[in-house]
Amino acid sequence: MTTMVGLVSANYNRNTFDGLTEDRPVASLPFGGRYRLVDFPLSNMVNSGIITVGLITPYLYRSLMDHVGVGKEWALSRKVGGMFILPGSIYGLKSMNSKFLLRDLIQNRPFLERAGADVIAVSGVDKVMNIDYREVAKAHEASGADITLIYKEGMAPADPGEQYLELTDTGRVTAIRSTPDEHKRCFISSFLINSDLLLSFTKWYEALGYMDVMDIFAENLDKMVVCGYKYDGFVGVVNDLSSYMDANMRLLDDEVRSELFRRDRPITTKVQDSPPTKYLGASSVRHSLVASGCIIEGRVEDSIIFRGVNIKKGAVVKNCVIMQNSVIGENARLENVVCDKYVNVKNGVQTSGSPEKPIAVEKRREI
Amino acid sequence: MRKKECIAMLLAGGQGSRLGPLTRKNAKPAVAFGGKYRIIDFSLSNCINSNIDTVGVLTQYKPLILNSYLGNGVAWDLDNPEGGLHILPPYATESGGRWYNGTADAIYRNMDFIERYDPEYVLVLSGDHLYKMDYNEMLTFHKKNNAALTVSVIQVPMEDASRFGVMSVDGDMRITKFEEKPPKPESNLASMGIYIFSWPVLRNALIADHKDPDSSKDFGKNIIPNLLNAGERLFAYTFSGYWKDVGTIDSYYEAQMSLLDEHPDFNIFESKMRIFSNANMLPPHYIGSNAVVERSLVCNGCEVLGTAKNSIISYDAHIGIGAVVEDAILLPGARVEAGARVFRAIVGENATIEAGACFCGGTEKERIAVLGDHGRYASV
Repeated sequence: MTTMVGLVSANYNRNTFDGLTEDRPVASLPFGGRYRLVDFPLSNMVNSGIITVGLITPYLYRSLMDHVGVGKEWALSRKVGGMFILPGSIYGLKSMNSKFLLRDLIQNRPFLERAGADVIAVSGVDKVMNIDYREVAKAHEASGADITLIYKEGMAPADPGEQYLELTDTGRVTAIRSTPDEHKRCFISSFLINSDLLLSFTKWYEALGYMDVMDIFAENLDKMVVCGYKYDGFVGVVNDLSSYMDANMRLLDDEVRSELFRRDRPITTKVQDSPPTKYLGASSVRHSLVASGCIIEGRVEDSIIFRGVNIKKGAVVKNCVIMQNSVIGENARLENVVCDKYVNVKNGVQTSGSPEKPIAVEKRREI
Repeated sequence: MRKKECIAMLLAGGQGSRLGPLTRKNAKPAVAFGGKYRIIDFSLSNCINSNIDTVGVLTQYKPLILNSYLGNGVAWDLDNPEGGLHILPPYATESGGRWYNGTADAIYRNMDFIERYDPEYVLVLSGDHLYKMDYNEMLTFHKKNNAALTVSVIQVPMEDASRFGVMSVDGDMRITKFEEKPPKPESNLASMGIYIFSWPVLRNALIADHKDPDSSKDFGKNIIPNLLNAGERLFAYTFSGYWKDVGTIDSYYEAQMSLLDEHPDFNIFESKMRIFSNANMLPPHYIGSNAVVERSLVCNGCEVLGTAKNSIISYDAHIGIGAVVEDAILLPGARVEAGARVFRAIVGENATIEAGACFCGGTEKERIAVLGDHGRYASV
């Protein structure tokens, strides 16, 4: 049986979210009513029986640390194994858009050495999915691969940061490119790599710490066995505001919800002990996902409502993502809007974006 | 163990037979309440909100759900290495094993637990009331009076007083008379079943009571009257907040329905004296395209595809397409299948109302229909 440790590469930020990532990394972007993006890789690893997980921190890590703490909710606050906070390096981030910076691994080499596992399961934080790494590990072992890159077929998000795999019939990766071939095999920011090999990379490329490990893989495809693993489940892509909005809205689909929020592999998040959500007499809610602790008196349609949101009388919220503790005033009307946390929309205010170009309202703003 | 000024002993072993089908497979303190809570949450949250970090929970009747719910107390921040939450079930000794035989006996048999903390005071609680209370204020009152025992009381309408243990007091709130469920009450100060004892007094009283073969080993019937007769300083502490017994189907139903008021007397939304619970990790609830939700509480993990009106929809419950749930309480995991109707009813945990069935209680003042946990109800 292959032993695995997990590595969540959260040292990644982009400024394509119209202010949502102004003071938080992509990893702690709120998602799906009560989650943060980092919950998905962390939960996937824990659900796959991985009990040692390293979390490479981004530059602005306050919100991330606030959320994950010592990993108690994921049962990672433990004597054997557990959650290891690995400081990420601190420059060149927004411009590089690198997801798996080699420097972060070099800097945290002792973690990889001491973990002593056969295989490292590595995940970024920009894809929302529910994956069983045990299945990936089986395929990794069966193929004798040094590296197994996980991909989704037929998926080509319009984003320059995505990478695509070209494969042989036997599943060997022959190229990693920034444009898709006809199969559209999109790399979904997660891979398995033999521990020894990853450690060797951190030594061989020590002077080239600015490289992304994906570039190192691409450079060495002919010298090692790199395989693809086809993942067939739901993948939510979070590259910019409109894909973020879209990935949230996909949760309104019954099948997507049942795939992502499986009872046998639950997505875990920080518990906040909010009360149930209270619907008052005049409320009208349709086709929406609503977290706990909300007070809803108005109309909500096709929306994702986070914890503790208050939607007042006569307000209409349509095709929106409303984050924690925001207040939508009486008779206000929002359409295609993302409200960050603690936004206060005054009575009667109307604002709308389009489905393709939603509007983001920054944290604590009053409109 | 480090010495504690005050520890709590929470009596959670009773059957709660007045809750009928709801306690057939579950102890009363572990019965679900208000969508995402269990009845014991209120007492435990009061403890931690009053900085009481050591709580012994005495369990006996059907403890599976209760024990697994309590765990090590982490959900209430009671996973404290210097104290914390301890589940105290009956145990065997060299003279054999026996059940807890009354509330006083349950505490008597855990005197070793109490003595580990060498407390000055012991707070005795019953885990079946809905209230928010800072026990520290009561403790301050107890200390100020140099009392042997302080009983928390609430003023009830005179006509209801005969349902309670009733205290008569003098001008200093010193208890002069105590009567359990008197036909003709002399006072309207009803005992809330919350006691603070000075530990040496309680210790002696428990030992004496244990030796009395005629005692029914009960706080209300034996310990308190005996202390009063012995001339000990017993005081009544008047609590003026919201307090409700939820030990009968009617009171359990009414207390939850009143949570739906726009400004309820018992406010679960308040940020002070928060109520903690050991919540399951479930996704937000989904309200379907043709759903109607009015004047209801809805929790995580629910799917509402039909109609919910004036109802409590506990976590993980499901209301199918075309189903109507009105004036009802769906307990966690309850399923109301497509086209079914539930009216003035309580549907137990993981119970199912089959498609098209009508599970309905009577109109006002008539009985509320109750389906026990894991039950199935189909059209006849």
